[in-house]
Amino acid sequence: MAVSLTKGGNVSLSKEVPGLTAVSVGLGWDTRMTDGSAFDLDASVFLLGDGGKVGSDEDFVFYNNARGGGGAVVHQGDNRTGAGDGDDEVVMVSLDKIPAQVQRLSFAVTIHKADARRQNFGMVSNAFIRVVNAEGGAEIARYDLSEDASTETAMIFGEVYRSSGEWKFKAIGQGFAGGLGPLARSFGVNV
Amino acid sequence: MSVSLSKGGNISLSKEEPGLTSILIGLGWDTRMSDGADFDLDASAFLLGPGDRVRGDEDFIFYNNLRSSDGAVEHTGDNRTGAGDGDDEAIKVDLTRVPAGVQKIAVTVTIHEGEARRQSFGMVSNAFIRIVNDATGREISRYDLAEDASTETAMIFGEVYRHNGEWKFRAVGQGYKGGLGPLARNYGVHVG
Repeated sequence: MAVSLTKGGNVSLSKEVPGLTAVSVGLGWDTRMTDGSAFDLDASVFLLGDGGKVGSDEDFVFYNNARGGGGAVVHQGDNRTGAGDGDDEVVMVSLDKIPAQVQRLSFAVTIHKADARRQNFGMVSNAFIRVVNAEGGAEIARYDLSEDASTETAMIFGEVYRSSGEWKFKAIGQGFAGGLGPLARSFGVNV
Repeated sequence: MSVSLSKGGNISLSKEEPGLTSILIGLGWDTRMSDGADFDLDASAFLLGPGDRVRGDEDFIFYNNLRSSDGAVEHTGDNRTGAGDGDDEAIKVDLTRVPAGVQKIAVTVTIHEGEARRQSFGMVSNAFIRIVNDATGREISRYDLAEDASTETAMIFGEVYRHNGEWKFRAVGQGYKGGLGPLARNYGVHVG
């Protein structure tokens, strides 16, 4: 039974799914039915060490850098309109292959060219992000972006992190002004 | 204190007004100041089920179909010039009677004969949508549509919808080309 997350909540992935080794983090939204530019949402992941910063620019996984963490994190590709049912963008994470120095994986969702297109999450129908067990496809946790992030254009959705030998997930749901560039810089990426 | 929403924003009506049972959705705009044909803006409501589609044509409430069959939604009539202060058109919703299969009510405004009269929303001033507690007359929330230069003749002003057991209102303000016919068809209505 998927846990529906609210801002600030956390769930232990290891407890929810004993023996969990890999997850797919899926992002989805509906295509635009009204006039104007398509909604282009982008999923990104920051692999963070102590101090909450990336070890190198390869630790920023996004549509222009599909593999990080020595192949433990793989972005499946950019969807620019939301066409198609289910997850529109997916990031595969092999939890058991994450390098030891990576303590946290921070997942962000940004709206491409949000300022120019004058878009925010509230205008995007049914935007969600979810964590799925890569083996078997059962949904573990889900967070509804259209409701809670409605006037934001960039959001740190949540973090997958180590805690006492387990992998846990925390719903952060924190908006970030400026978009993907400033967000990446805040994590120490050279943009 | 009425909550003023910006585009994309949403608010829980149930939280703002505990015990809320009926709302009046008010729509208004300014009449034309310059020469030319009057602006005849028409409010419509679409009662939507899964997939954002109407369950049947009777779920399309507009000037030629003023009441939903279950009595939950009632359009109070057509204003053809925008004359008068306050709401120009209003739609009442008894939230307690909205059928369980209806998840969302989309409230739209279209410009009658907009293409023929060469009118578009860019020419309409001070358009707004507001939600009023019909029992007390208190305005709960309001969305003033910004004056985006707009060539559309149809616009989705806002949505009243269910979420986690509450009724909520979202400020949409998104234009739709083509007018009421294509907009209605998009929601699954059979338009002749």
